[in-house]
Amino acid sequence: MSEFISAGVGDQKGFRAGVQKLGGNLAGMVIPNIGAFIAWGLLTALFIPTGWLPNENFSSMVGPMILNLLPILIGYTGGRIVHGQRGAVIGSIATVGVIVGTDIPMFLGAMIIGPLMAWILKYIDKVLDPITPPGFEMLIGNFSLGIAGMLGAMLGYLGIGPIVSGITTFLGNGVGWLVDNSLLPLASLLIEPAKILFMNNAINFGVLAPLGVVDAEATGKSIMFMLETNPGPGLGLLVAFWLAGPKLLRGSAPGAIIIHFLGGIHEIYFPYVLLKPQVVLGVIAGGMVGVATFMVTGVGLVSTPSPGSIFAYMAVTPAGNHLGVLLGIALSAATSFVVTWFILRLSKGDASEADLQEAKDRSKEMKAGK
Amino acid sequence: MASVSASDIKQIVVACEAGMGSSVMVARALAKQLKAQGIAVTHSPVNQLAEEPHDLVLVHRGLSARAKQAVPDSVVIIFDMFLGDLNIARLVGAIQNGDVISDG
Repeated sequence: MSEFISAGVGDQKGFRAGVQKLGGNLAGMVIPNIGAFIAWGLLTALFIPTGWLPNENFSSMVGPMILNLLPILIGYTGGRIVHGQRGAVIGSIATVGVIVGTDIPMFLGAMIIGPLMAWILKYIDKVLDPITPPGFEMLIGNFSLGIAGMLGAMLGYLGIGPIVSGITTFLGNGVGWLVDNSLLPLASLLIEPAKILFMNNAINFGVLAPLGVVDAEATGKSIMFMLETNPGPGLGLLVAFWLAGPKLLRGSAPGAIIIHFLGGIHEIYFPYVLLKPQVVLGVIAGGMVGVATFMVTGVGLVSTPSPGSIFAYMAVTPAGNHLGVLLGIALSAATSFVVTWFILRLSKGDASEADLQEAKDRSKEMKAGK
Repeated sequence: MASVSASDIKQIVVACEAGMGSSVMVARALAKQLKAQGIAVTHSPVNQLAEEPHDLVLVHRGLSARAKQAVPDSVVIIFDMFLGDLNIARLVGAIQNGDVISDG
């Protein structure tokens, strides 16, 4: 009999799981569609008037993709998560109502109305299923979806569109205020710790990317895409662990560096922080320096880099912004490295490596609620 | 607490938030290690675990409560590190030995 650590609730409170779950659902609507974001981002970077190869014909696809295709894909996916193919269809229909009701990219609106209409259809189906006479399944199925979809699109046009448009404008103004007053680096105080708690996708795809898309549509690029996705802080942290970390963790650090920085899977550095929580100061400092550098050099990205790899970063960096982007990543990595390195050195005196192993085992047991 | 005998494990699912990033990486590494046992290792978003057929679930500690919520009756094994995790090594050892695996 092999005993394993139980999936207890010891280290994970209901609230955190709740926020994660909500964020997971938001991210779950966006992440499967990242390929479409990349196609749009590349079209934008290449063919808009300020791009690498300005081309009026090809750049005419940029607007319809961001305003129509991407929100519909999100509404489709959100509906599918709730109610399969029928949910996906009604989610897409209703998203069109939200899109034409406003003139900004309606990501948040699609995230609301897609799953909402799928959920309503699920209940309509539940009511109609038992009373459908044999042979009428297709007729009733098609028309119940069609009528509910029409009403959903009207609801989206009249209700959801204007409300979400107002919310997006409000949030966008808030961000603009932070940028104007040079306060944007403070966002790292929230973002970096939340990332470690596996809210990285929720923050980026649920909040920052929708704001960034509105920004990018207006100005051609946005710094919002860079707040959570900057691979610099994690890189600095992992290098510090490689050179000065507890022996137990050193061996895996080089592999983690490659997977994090080149592969873009940031999750790989979270465990190092969870095992030595003080080093979160390193990634916070790195994140702030990175955001400040991006802000001062005035750079942005055309689309969200997903995964947050240096290659994805370079691909969605608009012409002329590469220097500022690379500088920000390098400075944030250097800052994070120095701070983490000092924390690791200082904490070495009070805990030998044998102690750390013991502490790790003990915390595992405590977390498992044993 | 749930348990499963190693010989009954035909499919392991590794879960992460999106089911497209870290879980794919862990799943591929694990699939290599368990090739001889003929065990399939797949990946899934933690919210959709219930729809993915599995005999055992592997998930990072940070998402463990949600995994248990999604599939309360399944064996859910937790790991801490995405590379060189001791608990995953123990799991592989237990499967190779044909032990009974429990998440109690």
